[in-house]
Amino acid sequence: MSEHAVVGKGVPRVDALEKVTGAAKYGADINFPGMLHARIFRSTEVHAKILSIDTSEAEKLPGVHAIITQDDIPTGRAVFAKEKVLYYGEPLGAVAATDPDIAEEAAELVKVEYEPLPVVQDVMESIKPDAPHLLNDRTKDGPRRRVITRQLKKLSKETGEDNSAEIERLNAELGGLDDEIYYNVAGETHESAGDVEQGFAESDVVVEGTYTIPRVHQVYMEPHVSVAQAEPSGKLTVWASTQGHFAIRSGIAGVLGIPLSDINVVGVTMGGGFGGRFNIQATHVPAVILSQKTGRPVKAQLNREEEFLDGRPGAGCVIKLKTGVMDDGTIVARKALAFWDCGSVAGGPIANTIRIRGVYKFPHLQMDAYAVHTNKSGTTSYRAPGAPQAIFAAESQLDEIATIIGMDPVDLRMKNMREEGDQVPAGATEPIVGYKETLKAAADAVDWWNREKGPNQGWGVAVGDWTNGCGPGAVYVSVHEDGSVRLFHGSMDITGTDTAMAQIAAEVLTVPYEQVSITRGDTNSAPYNTGSGGSVVTFTMGNTAKLAAEDARGRLLELAAQRLNTDIEHVELRDGKVSLTNGDAPKSLSLGELAAYSLSTTGGPIVGKGSLSGRLSAPAVAVQIAKVEVNPETGNTKVLRTVASQDVGFAINPIAVEGQIEGGVVQGYAWSMMEEMQYDEKGNVNPGFVDYRVPTTADIPRIESVIVEVPAPNGPYGAKGVGEPSLTPTLATFANAVTDATGVRINDLPIKPEKIVNALKSNGNGSR
Amino acid sequence: MRNFEFFEPKTIGEASSLLVQYGGEAELLGGGTDLIIGMKDRTVTPKYVISLEKVPGMEGITYDDTNGLWVGAMTKMRALERSSIVRERYTALAEGAEEVGSIQIRNLATLGGNIAHGSPAADTAAALLVLDAQVNIADGNGERTVPIADFYLGPGQTVLQAGEILTGFSMPPRSAKSGSQYLKHKIRQVMDLAFVGVATSVSLSNGTVADTKIGLAAVAPKPIRATNAEAIITGNSVSDNLLQQAAGAAAAQSSPISDLRCTAEHRREIVAALTKETAMTAVARAQV
Repeated sequence: MSEHAVVGKGVPRVDALEKVTGAAKYGADINFPGMLHARIFRSTEVHAKILSIDTSEAEKLPGVHAIITQDDIPTGRAVFAKEKVLYYGEPLGAVAATDPDIAEEAAELVKVEYEPLPVVQDVMESIKPDAPHLLNDRTKDGPRRRVITRQLKKLSKETGEDNSAEIERLNAELGGLDDEIYYNVAGETHESAGDVEQGFAESDVVVEGTYTIPRVHQVYMEPHVSVAQAEPSGKLTVWASTQGHFAIRSGIAGVLGIPLSDINVVGVTMGGGFGGRFNIQATHVPAVILSQKTGRPVKAQLNREEEFLDGRPGAGCVIKLKTGVMDDGTIVARKALAFWDCGSVAGGPIANTIRIRGVYKFPHLQMDAYAVHTNKSGTTSYRAPGAPQAIFAAESQLDEIATIIGMDPVDLRMKNMREEGDQVPAGATEPIVGYKETLKAAADAVDWWNREKGPNQGWGVAVGDWTNGCGPGAVYVSVHEDGSVRLFHGSMDITGTDTAMAQIAAEVLTVPYEQVSITRGDTNSAPYNTGSGGSVVTFTMGNTAKLAAEDARGRLLELAAQRLNTDIEHVELRDGKVSLTNGDAPKSLSLGELAAYSLSTTGGPIVGKGSLSGRLSAPAVAVQIAKVEVNPETGNTKVLRTVASQDVGFAINPIAVEGQIEGGVVQGYAWSMMEEMQYDEKGNVNPGFVDYRVPTTADIPRIESVIVEVPAPNGPYGAKGVGEPSLTPTLATFANAVTDATGVRINDLPIKPEKIVNALKSNGNGSR
Repeated sequence: MRNFEFFEPKTIGEASSLLVQYGGEAELLGGGTDLIIGMKDRTVTPKYVISLEKVPGMEGITYDDTNGLWVGAMTKMRALERSSIVRERYTALAEGAEEVGSIQIRNLATLGGNIAHGSPAADTAAALLVLDAQVNIADGNGERTVPIADFYLGPGQTVLQAGEILTGFSMPPRSAKSGSQYLKHKIRQVMDLAFVGVATSVSLSNGTVADTKIGLAAVAPKPIRATNAEAIITGNSVSDNLLQQAAGAAAAQSSPISDLRCTAEHRREIVAALTKETAMTAVARAQV
């Protein structure tokens, strides 16, 4: 680490001052004279035909300027419900009024007539034939039916031999598999390697379980908000609190059917995202259309209740998981059948069910995953979408296996972990990875093999993995006459990503970190940029910042060589100065002098450019160990200790990295122990922080972060994406700790006190 | 929020006559931690809001060995939890106050508001029940006093008549050989609503429990006393077996509901667990 001057140091964030002084302008802080306030009116039914929408009373209310419904969407793309509503709180239209209270009053005056329809909220009910079929009556085959259907197709093509007996047998089996005809399926994905049934047959021990993980909201601090201004020319400006303003631009262009060049999106400081802040329909589209109608700036802002009713939370799911191992702990086979609740909109992180394979090597794998409709809002990404859910099932089951075969849970994991060159089940071979190092680091931090526990106390360990995305992105670097350096790009800062870029530019240009500043451009001015999600930002933008700074450095060296009458090989950049290296008198030129000189040369001002579309990203691993104490009378759990190790490749800013690790642990703890969006036939029944619980600092004591650095070949200075891995093992970590403390295993999250008390009562009937 | 007219009367009489004048369209404002949220959500839509902030004599904590404790209705939760006399002698009340919201909320929320609201889950209600609190009520023409046990009629309903204002709470002096505790069952360590609240108060005499009071919150249409459990303990010296019996009696006397937070059955089990624990703690505190 000592080879670097700025990267690898926990410097204060570039936005620290504006954040702590309250000067940072978030979406809700954007206001203009004459601005109108939007309010979305929503379905009060969970599933119903819309018979009529009458806005006449609302229109009469003084202060109301415009009311829009689906009929006002120029392309007809679904923004508001028109024929049918599929969940409570589904948007039907929006009102713009002179103040938020009038807009709310007007929204209440909209009269909607419905014809109610039957409701289904449980994915396991929704796949059945007698469930209400929400969007169509098509069906999909379950895993066994798929295999048989494929075999039958193959047999029917084979001529010459008499296959009739086999065909008859398969048809008979198919006839008995009606429960594998799934309704309300929005999407499916399948993966396999080896022969999983053969693998189970060869295994000494086979364990099966059903794991239920609830839908949870990202609960970013700032609810969705946007301000739109439509110009008479047709041009639009949108101030958006978003993870990606370029994505918002293309989203709006698509819904309105207008060119990208007519839309300028200004990304403003974001009050948290966690994957949930890409949704254009929540506020952006309503604000834009209302502004077009009224010619005035319009602000659309959700309140917290609306966030719960009509946000796009992380998906819940039911995973049926089966694992076969040898008595010595060698994993042989694993099979998963998963049903993801995608609500009323096709989606859900079904492909990430594959995370059940974890970081282990085993020959036989099968994964069948389905996204299933229910009468809920749609879902979207939530920090490592799908991974915490799949890994909860996988790592809980592995812990159960450790108990059954009498093996230490860390030893069991270590034994099966992949290393560089190992085959990933149903995947490629591993590049350089730090799985074992990271597990060992966490175990060592708690002195695992000598761990102690008192009555009702328990330890849990789990391993989660994730791979960051990459690009596209671009950065410009300018060097000014005072020696200061400015980066210009179009990336939304999340969790200190701008700080990492500034550190990298300072490192390359050998200037103090404080001398580097950053400007984020709107979509009219900045080069294209991918959204800030998927742990891509530091990996992508760190690389582009490095490329841009290196480009600027090349130009500086060239100019200095020219100025010093020497060759470029004979100059070097160090401590913010370019000096001669060929032993002549110690002549040097500062960055400021060179920047000033550049203004009067043919080359022109010093500008460096970095631009890339993508680079092979790196697998990252997170290991967490927790110690808890459970009160067997009340079922309350107290966290005594949490250690979180993570392979981050290289920590460009260790303080920021620790912040990421801690944040993931807290969100994972919450998901395992308390967070849950609850639904019944009336829709979401806990749309607020009274009954949707997120933890406070009192719930989880200091988290001990352990940074492991196995460099990523393509990362800036070896850095990997750090944002998402930290949430992936946490659900299982706490579940495993509770089991160690109580002897009962709860596979149905969150682990509320009542579930523990009930499981302890029925203990002896075996774990669930 | 809908528009409303705001009043800041300077006397109880003035406040009372405003209440009479505007009837069901008026709401009294104490700390506002319930009312303002309701108004923002439009679940409460008063046309007139009458603040008690400027009415003198409604805030404060006084104590003497003869008359005991008096707490003004406008006294903040934060003041209660920080009061040394409340913490020492009326411990369950300090613990109840401490369970309300966050520090920021407790700097605004008032004891009067917590009770006058009529919630069966109010954190201070179980404590006031076991500390024998009398509720002081005034309407400008006169005053009356009602035992806290009789103050509640049902969920959100109290004995307060049109124009009546809750002004404070009186609690009798407590012997040195007394102790109390309030425990709340919840999921989050702080800032959570009571799934179940249990307060127990005891006084000891010659090694036996001379007096026992057990208050239960959030497990009946109003805060109640677990009188059958009290009878089991009173007159005896505590033992595990005795407390187990009392715990069962308290659970049996509760009539909780099942809701999205948990089932009625779980609430009964928690009533039993917390009855036992608070009784043990109260006795231990009385012995100190």
